[in-house]
Amino acid sequence: MKPFPHPGAITLLVVILITCALLFLLQKMTWFVVPVLLALMLYYCVRPVMRALVDLGMRHKTAAKLVWLLLQIVTATSLLAVGLLTVAKAGTWQSDLGRYVAAGQALLLKTAGALERVVPIFQSMNLATQIDQNVHQLTNQFAEEKLLPIFLQSLRWLPSLLLVPYFIYFMLNDSDRLKKYIVKSVPNAFFEKALLLFARLDTSLQNYFQGLLLLTLLDTTCLGLGLVVLGIHNPIWLGLAAAVLAWIPYVGSVIGCILVVLIAATDFPEKTWTPCLCLALFLGVRALDDFVFLPLTIGRKLRVHPLLSVLMLFLGATVAGTTGLMLALPLFGIVSVIGETISHVVTDRKLRARYRAARQLVLSHESV
Amino acid sequence: MWAITLKKLDEMKFFGADINAQKIEVLKSIPIFHELTHKEILDVEELLHERIYEKDEIIFEEGDPGHGIFIVVSGKLRADPNHKLLKNTVLDFGPGELVGELSLFDEAPRTAKVVAIERTVTVALFQAEFSSLLLKNKSIGTKVLVEIARTLSCRARQLLLQERHVPSL
Repeated sequence: MKPFPHPGAITLLVVILITCALLFLLQKMTWFVVPVLLALMLYYCVRPVMRALVDLGMRHKTAAKLVWLLLQIVTATSLLAVGLLTVAKAGTWQSDLGRYVAAGQALLLKTAGALERVVPIFQSMNLATQIDQNVHQLTNQFAEEKLLPIFLQSLRWLPSLLLVPYFIYFMLNDSDRLKKYIVKSVPNAFFEKALLLFARLDTSLQNYFQGLLLLTLLDTTCLGLGLVVLGIHNPIWLGLAAAVLAWIPYVGSVIGCILVVLIAATDFPEKTWTPCLCLALFLGVRALDDFVFLPLTIGRKLRVHPLLSVLMLFLGATVAGTTGLMLALPLFGIVSVIGETISHVVTDRKLRARYRAARQLVLSHESV
Repeated sequence: MWAITLKKLDEMKFFGADINAQKIEVLKSIPIFHELTHKEILDVEELLHERIYEKDEIIFEEGDPGHGIFIVVSGKLRADPNHKLLKNTVLDFGPGELVGELSLFDEAPRTAKVVAIERTVTVALFQAEFSSLLLKNKSIGTKVLVEIARTLSCRARQLLLQERHVPSL
């Protein structure tokens, strides 16, 4: 399938504006967007398995049902394991959390003290004391004011996550049929363009989600290996958690970095350089991500210019906050493909003339 | 422009839409699907798009980007090529014949304008879906490809011999 030539300035502007408008709307319905995104990601992961089963001679419907059932079993088993682990380790985790926060606080104070000794202006500002007061205030307030809303928000999200299996089943079983019946309603003149649009959308989404998973794998490997070298406990799990958090551009990476630095500060309270090395590791992997992995995986597959990617991320964050950051690139990819197709149809006079002529023919036959 | 008519919505028996035996028979009668088993026909049917063209309606024009082939189920199509090799030749396509098969392989621009000379029912096979079929089910892919190659060689031979009636399977 040949790619479209890059869109013109007006098409690009319209695509950016529509993407921003959609981001604004979608942030109001994250309860729907998140399950759809999760379902799409899982769908593109398991689709090759389903195709392999069909290749082995299984009927499409049977293969779809089998793959869906396997996915449900894996998910249910994982959830059960996580639930049991949480019940068993809840007490330990609570005390660990306190330890990590205290270690992070100590690291911050130590760093502020060192800064005060090197830069006199910080000493006159009482940097260490101010940081200590702010952190105390933040941790106390967090427990009292933020924890309950976060917990309630997660409870509100849980029912919507139950939509994920339903969406996956529908995608595995009926996506081809749905496409076929939508195409059926398209007039003959635009029929081939409509098929092309669907094929391109499918390719873009598949490339995005497969690219994202590949990126996660690369990030996990690099971070895991780095943390192994630094001697941090559970390096692969930490690497994986940080890589998954990085699905939220910038914000996720910062949260992942703070998580690992806190653990390093707790595990090695005497060695100030270990958290610093963790920070350096994160910055290094971030740079590798931005300049090597991301252009090689998602960027190349979505055919989005790096400058445009950054612009869309900023616009997404401005318009829709964290949701905007997460959705900006995939949504821009989808709207670009639709925009390019529509601009081709709108600017193709021959095609529009053919549509009008066909309509006249249909009307005249109906009148006869 | 993109309005879905109530009639079409009625035709969309979306969930649980099973193809009937008559449709399978029609597909089986198309030469490129002759060799396929019942199960394979069902797999191919999922990829085919049925289109109905009124008399005088243009299917595609010369120079249009080609994205797939059309197989005539009933009715008749006429090609109107500008190429000097095909001048003075009658290019009518009846039931079972393929139109636009070259674009299945290279998405090259269409080489002729094709018009329905009577009300024609076709099934279209899109290039990207055909490629995925080749990857997904090699048995079907091989059988269909052999039939398409046979059609192509037949047409090439007739062109070389400068026969007036080119398409026949």
